[in-house]
Amino acid sequence: MPNTSSRREFVKRASAVAGGAALVGAPAFWETAGAAEAIKVGFISPLTGPLGSFGESDPYVLSLVRKALAKGLNVGGTTYSVTILDRDSQSDPARAGQLAKELINSQGIDFMLVTSTPEVVNPVSDACEAAGVPCLSTVMPWEAWYFGRGAKPGAPSPFKWTYHFSFGVKNFFDCYVSQWHELSTNKKVGVLYPNDADGNAIREHLIPDLQKAGFTVVDPGGYEDGTTDYSAQIAKYKSENCQIFNTFPIPPDFATFWRQAAQQGYTKMVKIAQIAKTGLFPDTMEALGSLAYNLASACYWHRNFPYPSSLTGISSRELADGYERTTGKQWNQQIGATMSLFDAGFQALKNSGAPKTKAAVAKALSRLKTTTAVGVVDFTSGPFPNVSPASIIGSQWVKAAPGSKHPLDLVITEHANDAKVPIGAKLRPFS
Amino acid sequence: MVNELVQGILLGCYYALIACGLSFTFGVLRIINLAHGSIAVLGAFVVWTIAEQWNISPFLALVAVAPFMAAAGWVLQRTVLERSLRSGALTPLLSTFGLAIVIDNLLFSKFGADTRSMAPNIGDLAFASWNLPGGVTIGQLALLTAIVAVALLGGLQLFLARTPLGRAIRATAEDPDTAELVGIDSRKVYAAATAISMVTVAIAGTFLALRATFDPYAGSAQLIFAFEAIVIGGTGSLWGTLIGGIVLGVAQNLGSQISPQGFLIGGHLVFFAVLAARFFIAGRSPGSLVRSLRRTSP
Repeated sequence: MPNTSSRREFVKRASAVAGGAALVGAPAFWETAGAAEAIKVGFISPLTGPLGSFGESDPYVLSLVRKALAKGLNVGGTTYSVTILDRDSQSDPARAGQLAKELINSQGIDFMLVTSTPEVVNPVSDACEAAGVPCLSTVMPWEAWYFGRGAKPGAPSPFKWTYHFSFGVKNFFDCYVSQWHELSTNKKVGVLYPNDADGNAIREHLIPDLQKAGFTVVDPGGYEDGTTDYSAQIAKYKSENCQIFNTFPIPPDFATFWRQAAQQGYTKMVKIAQIAKTGLFPDTMEALGSLAYNLASACYWHRNFPYPSSLTGISSRELADGYERTTGKQWNQQIGATMSLFDAGFQALKNSGAPKTKAAVAKALSRLKTTTAVGVVDFTSGPFPNVSPASIIGSQWVKAAPGSKHPLDLVITEHANDAKVPIGAKLRPFS
Repeated sequence: MVNELVQGILLGCYYALIACGLSFTFGVLRIINLAHGSIAVLGAFVVWTIAEQWNISPFLALVAVAPFMAAAGWVLQRTVLERSLRSGALTPLLSTFGLAIVIDNLLFSKFGADTRSMAPNIGDLAFASWNLPGGVTIGQLALLTAIVAVALLGGLQLFLARTPLGRAIRATAEDPDTAELVGIDSRKVYAAATAISMVTVAIAGTFLALRATFDPYAGSAQLIFAFEAIVIGGTGSLWGTLIGGIVLGVAQNLGSQISPQGFLIGGHLVFFAVLAARFFIAGRSPGSLVRSLRRTSP
């Protein structure tokens, strides 16, 4: 049967290729000097599709990184030229995984960087773990990255090649408790958590902690993403007089909910409206009109962060101002986050001493302790070996000062996660 | 409870408004227009651009945009739909699906990933409401949406029943060849119907943008409720679409009374029950089911 023989042929060939790859991967000493001096780094983020807001500022950050690396990267006296191969996941998890495989197999990258939401980060991390390519990622809750990819609490970390620094449930908890004590309320929290991966993780881990901290939580239960009417939930919050409100919705659902809450008179009752997952970017807030003023949010980077980018030496303020100058758009928190990914990634390449040797880079990642644009990244003291929790800072969208170019301004209102971040203003009541 | 029922009816009118163009296109042209959601978002972007550019009310901008949407409908019929209709029933599905992808990505390259809404352009109307006794709240925008939905669907129904062009459209929908025999130019009738349908889609897009937020990829999310409203109400009948939308909205709100997860499930269950009942009544053959779905008498 021709089919059988060709399949056998294929298996033979595939194993020959795999063997060859292992041979190339392991001993780097026989490579010529010229070939060893070029590092290829893959970078995957969502530039288009529904997650496009996350990737909007990535080209700007990439241009700064490429400029800083134009003369190469100096590792232990050897200068390596650096090529960054950036790819757009188009907000599609399947495509993200496929791009990762293409970068690994066809381009032969030495190191992978990936950012923004589980839809991009998890498939890329999985592809790197399977192929034995070191990978560093950020901007998604670390629990969803660590446990969501099959790690078990109590068991040793199953990951050898992939590392992740980002906020987790505990960071949200610390931030919220600090933020909600800024104003006097009846400590009754109405929560609107969807029945999706993020919503259920938050429901399971955050609600018990809030109750222990003395808050009464009113949870009507998980709703499905895409729900277009919230009368039942709003009636419940009103009858329970929930002066604090907290939600983790997809952005379009929040706009629908919040306008309806205003129609039904709930927003007049709320003192603190704390939103997460939506309200990260100025445009989603502007779309709410006057209902956006004084919504409390939590940010992973702010232009007033005291940390400069370690790779480029640019201060956080200058990063934001530079973006506004180059694009004419208002700064957003993803700029600093993407920059911190390059900061930490290239620090690991430097620390490895041998950036072309994958095992050395992975080892350097496991010992990485450095300060980036978002603050300290430290894999030596995390809750799990491959995880470094990053801070999340309480903030509030306020009406911008008259004469400002943009209608809204994001101000920092608390800093329980990182006391070095300066507080900009006191939290104002929503109504 | 009464309030939830009222909210369900208002929501249902919004669904019917979104579904209006889709229902009209299906009833007349026998095309399931998968680009319906994307065209609605395109309409929203055009109206938004004009409202922002000249700082005018979105409703005024919509009036200005309507003739252009009608012209676009005419062109769409002549260049895409007519050609694809000629090569079988499946081709229009594929071509409108392709059209949706093209529109989404063109919008993305022009407007970027930003989320927008026209609610800020109408100020307090977006969230102002009247409080009635018994805890009933009626949102002003929701009521306006309901009035527009009833007026639009009712007006189109009257137009189909009473005017010469309406009669020509119905005749062509029944049998284009016979309609040609009595002197109706079916190509013109089709193009006129598509033009009308595009205007209704622009209205739907504007109300979508007033009620919620939109971005270049927001089109497909609204499509499923529109489909359900049409199927529940009986395809091809515009009054049916209005009733279907209201049944869907009320079912969803009653579902969410049982559990927040019941919102979407409640709607889907009614949709399924209606579909199954039709199937049963229609004599249990898939062919007759399709025929029952295609009932076009207004």
